Amino acid sequence: MNVRQLALTLIVTFSLVLSACTPAVQTPTTAVQPEPTRAPQETSSSAAVQITFWHAMSGSREEVIKGIADRFNKSQTQYQVIPEYTGSYAETLTKGLAAYRSGTPPTIVQVYEVGTRTMLDSGAIVPVHTLNKGEVDWADIVQPILKYYSVDNNLFCMPFNSSTAMLYYNKDMFVAAGLDPDKPPTTWAEVEEYSKKIMDAGAATGGFSMGWPAWILEQMFATHNQLFANQDNGRTGLSTEVYLNSEFGTKVLTEWQRMAKEDILVYGGREYAANDPFLAKQFPFRFQSTSSLGGILKSAEFEVGTAFLPRLDGYESGNSVVGGGCLWLMDKATPEQQTGSWEFFKFINSVDETIEWHKKTGYFPATNTAYEKLKTDGWFDEEPNHATAFNQILGGADTPASRGVLLGNFVQIRDIVGAAIEEAVVNNVDPKTALDKATDEANQVLKDYESLNK
Amino acid sequence: MNTRFPNRYLPYLLIAPMIIVVIVFFLIPSVQSLYLSFFRVNPLGNRQIFVGLENFARLITNPNYRNSLLVSVEFAILVVFSGLGSSLFVATVANQRLPGFAVYRAMLIWPYALSPAIAGLVWGLMMNPNFGLGAVLLKRLTAIEFNYLTSSISAILFLALAATWKMFGYNIVFFLAGLQGLPTELLEAASLDGAGGWQKFWKVTFPLLSPTTFFLLIMNTLYAFFEIFGLVHITTQGGPGQATNLLVFNLYKDGFIGMDTGFASAQSIVLLFFVATLTFLQFRYVGQRVHYR
Repeated sequence: MNVRQLALTLIVTFSLVLSACTPAVQTPTTAVQPEPTRAPQETSSSAAVQITFWHAMSGSREEVIKGIADRFNKSQTQYQVIPEYTGSYAETLTKGLAAYRSGTPPTIVQVYEVGTRTMLDSGAIVPVHTLNKGEVDWADIVQPILKYYSVDNNLFCMPFNSSTAMLYYNKDMFVAAGLDPDKPPTTWAEVEEYSKKIMDAGAATGGFSMGWPAWILEQMFATHNQLFANQDNGRTGLSTEVYLNSEFGTKVLTEWQRMAKEDILVYGGREYAANDPFLAKQFPFRFQSTSSLGGILKSAEFEVGTAFLPRLDGYESGNSVVGGGCLWLMDKATPEQQTGSWEFFKFINSVDETIEWHKKTGYFPATNTAYEKLKTDGWFDEEPNHATAFNQILGGADTPASRGVLLGNFVQIRDIVGAAIEEAVVNNVDPKTALDKATDEANQVLKDYESLNK
Repeated sequence: MNTRFPNRYLPYLLIAPMIIVVIVFFLIPSVQSLYLSFFRVNPLGNRQIFVGLENFARLITNPNYRNSLLVSVEFAILVVFSGLGSSLFVATVANQRLPGFAVYRAMLIWPYALSPAIAGLVWGLMMNPNFGLGAVLLKRLTAIEFNYLTSSISAILFLALAATWKMFGYNIVFFLAGLQGLPTELLEAASLDGAGGWQKFWKVTFPLLSPTTFFLLIMNTLYAFFEIFGLVHITTQGGPGQATNLLVFNLYKDGFIGMDTGFASAQSIVLLFFVATLTFLQFRYVGQRVHYR
């Protein structure tokens, strides 16, 4: 081997070594923990107990969170809440757990609804109901939200940003196609019919796209009162089986596939990319979380309408499911930090803060008191789109199928469902085949989870 | 090569930093991964069940993983061949002695300075099916619907294109250096013997360039397997369906999103051995044909 060959071998070995490190390192996330030892702000005394708060609210919502923390910090001197944006929901959850593993978790972490089971079983949290010494009347929390985050009637985390999915539509396109802009579709058949009319009138190139399609599918199960998984959706015990490939699940996906073939359903990715074509006036409809409402109203150059999720004929009525996030208190927190966190929870639950949060973001006002106040102040008359999702969720039936699904490692199952929808809608795989495969995969995930949480 | 070191410990001292880097960033994590690959671990890492080789057995039986392997190999072939081909062409053109070419050549390496995530952002915007200039122009001019969110073929081509572009500058720089180091007398001799440009390139330049090509072949293969994570993460997220679920991305999803550390560790071990074997084979079979001067 001459020098040149030797050098080449060395370079290759070295780069192999370096690149191989990346997948092998287990918790790179711990490297980006925020500094807990930040100088306290001028308003609070230097002896203030610091409470770190990791959240997943980016963009304008991050500013709103900073505002809440600021007002809380100025309202008293004992505690100081330090909010920290830690990436997407999934990333924040992973980082929180990784930090717990390495012994430096935040005091409070915001976890999206999908992570609820994981947090409940983690053994790493302080249930919020144990902190309440009667100061907060849980009954004042809007029922579907309260029920989502409760197990055996005990609330485990502090409801913060709750939302649900609804149908957004472009009123201008309704007018262009000769439809009544104040009569949105209520069934899937009507969504299809109206889409065709609008497309035929040349006002749009497609019918609708969906944000978070896997979540929309879950919403379909709930609004038609169909169980998504056994053990009452994991509410009465660890769920071990999903019903994705049930008659109902297959029916929904078959409908979606058919509409995709007719260019009515246009696939728009797994998260927010579906917003773009709606805003670009390409489609009259879009399914998305209520939490996008603020942003949509701001950037849409047309009149936006909102409506309940459409239904399939011939099924019972359930209710749409709460999504969004909840605040969890980690058990590594000192007693002072726990007291301080409870003070902070009470603060965000106050009427003023709840209203502020709702108005600035589009998330639900989480308490009945705040909701009543908004109503008497005339807010919903001024902004009827802000009332849609709320009316939808308050008008539904309270059944086991509509209280939301609690699954072990739900994050992975969401991903499996997302892939199955893509297979059917984009790659034209037979819906039943795609769902059978997804069901097997999801059941395996649940089995593994069960083996670790007996 | 036979220079003696003044002190017998000096060589060890000099290689110590490298050895430490290898131990801390490679050996320890690898051993840890190997260990974890025999377990099923809960997200908090405080409960572990020994499962023996089950994680590996699952890899073999898992259709998604097999698909991921297939997609990764396809992707690597696309990136390596289109990347080496196009950059060799551009390097040959850029190797001419024309005014201003020095500046032009220097600019060719720019894409390499970007991180894969930024490259993904740029290409994602450019080819965005709704408002991306690239996608819209393509549609207007050729009526080709290029939508990497909804078409599997578009998605894999899109990724390969962005990945190739990102590596373009790097490849060109090496090819240029190789071309400029070629002995001109051989080319002149070939001209005197009546060889045309095409013949000169294939009979003289290309064989003489083989060490560079071989080096780039290996670097691009490694790149296609390991370094495109950021690109996938920011653009296709492995979709649509499983169309761009490359091995590294699958590993990330299982390990960091699904928090299935044991299964992900098994994947990282397999990935490491797979690429190491590939590199070994390249050295064994392609390396023999390389003409070192």
